[in-house]
Amino acid sequence: MTHQTHAYHMVNPSPWPLTGALSALLLTSGLAMWFHYNTLTLLYLGLLTNMLTMYQWWRDIVREGTYQGHHTPIVQKGLRYGMILFIVSEVFFFAGFFWAFYHSSLVPTHDLGGCWPPTGIIPLNPLEVPLLNTSVLLASGVSITWAHHSLMEGKRNNMNQALLITIGLGVYFTALQASEYLETSFSISDGIYGSTFFMATGFHGLHVIIGSTFLMVCLLRQLKYHFTSKHHFGFEAAAWYWHF
Amino acid sequence: MLRNLLALRQVTQRTISTTSRRHFENKVSEKQKLFQEDNGIPVHLKGGTSDALLYRLTMALTLGGTVYAIYQLAMASFPKKQN
Repeated sequence: MTHQTHAYHMVNPSPWPLTGALSALLLTSGLAMWFHYNTLTLLYLGLLTNMLTMYQWWRDIVREGTYQGHHTPIVQKGLRYGMILFIVSEVFFFAGFFWAFYHSSLVPTHDLGGCWPPTGIIPLNPLEVPLLNTSVLLASGVSITWAHHSLMEGKRNNMNQALLITIGLGVYFTALQASEYLETSFSISDGIYGSTFFMATGFHGLHVIIGSTFLMVCLLRQLKYHFTSKHHFGFEAAAWYWHF
Repeated sequence: MLRNLLALRQVTQRTISTTSRRHFENKVSEKQKLFQEDNGIPVHLKGGTSDALLYRLTMALTLGGTVYAIYQLAMASFPKKQN
């Protein structure tokens, strides 16, 4: 019987890279059709096929790791490098938006009134809901650390509770931020203030939603006994993403 | 009547706690057996019939959508003259 004599993972042929790439085509051409011809079919198709690809690709990775044992220490090392590099790329993504904000706000131009916030903009009070939101996310950082330590110490009930609290805080943040969006007197098209505000907070909000979803998947896997006290990289990846 | 009410409370509590326990029992070893079977089936189909159905649906939507996208591109490339 043939078997490999190394610890690396030789994956089975998979259709998901193809469906993923094609879903990207449908998403982009769908956007073009929506913008220019006011029709949503292609875009919806793109979103659906994208979701289907992500679900099945990640489902397969869980099968390969948890059920087939392919995630040896060296394979896990590669997964760790991968997640770290991805998060670093996201840091650079946000660096752009921070650059844009500081460029415009530290030296406000004449056409804005030479001041920041620009003339005519009524900003939200940062010490009200925004401050609450900050504390919500900081608290969620504490609860996810509690969850991790509980997992490593084999305290199952504690882990479940702490992870649930973390997810709850993430959802609470999203709900609060959505209500803040409805409260602003300015929109994304209100000059550079509107642009920098909504691009930065918008992408941040999207990342909170993605992170909360990742944590929900972890909770589901934890309830199904996928994680051990020594081997739980999926959870660690979610925790790194959440802290970022 | 009160005794019946108390009995009902105990029965529902026991049923609910056993039901949730049944849903969240450790079935990992069964899954490991299924996915480690030496049958040559690739991992994306190894779970059973629902895998194949979901795969076919995804592929059909993706390929169909691609054809539709190229069709729309062809239509957009040759604008119809309006009178």
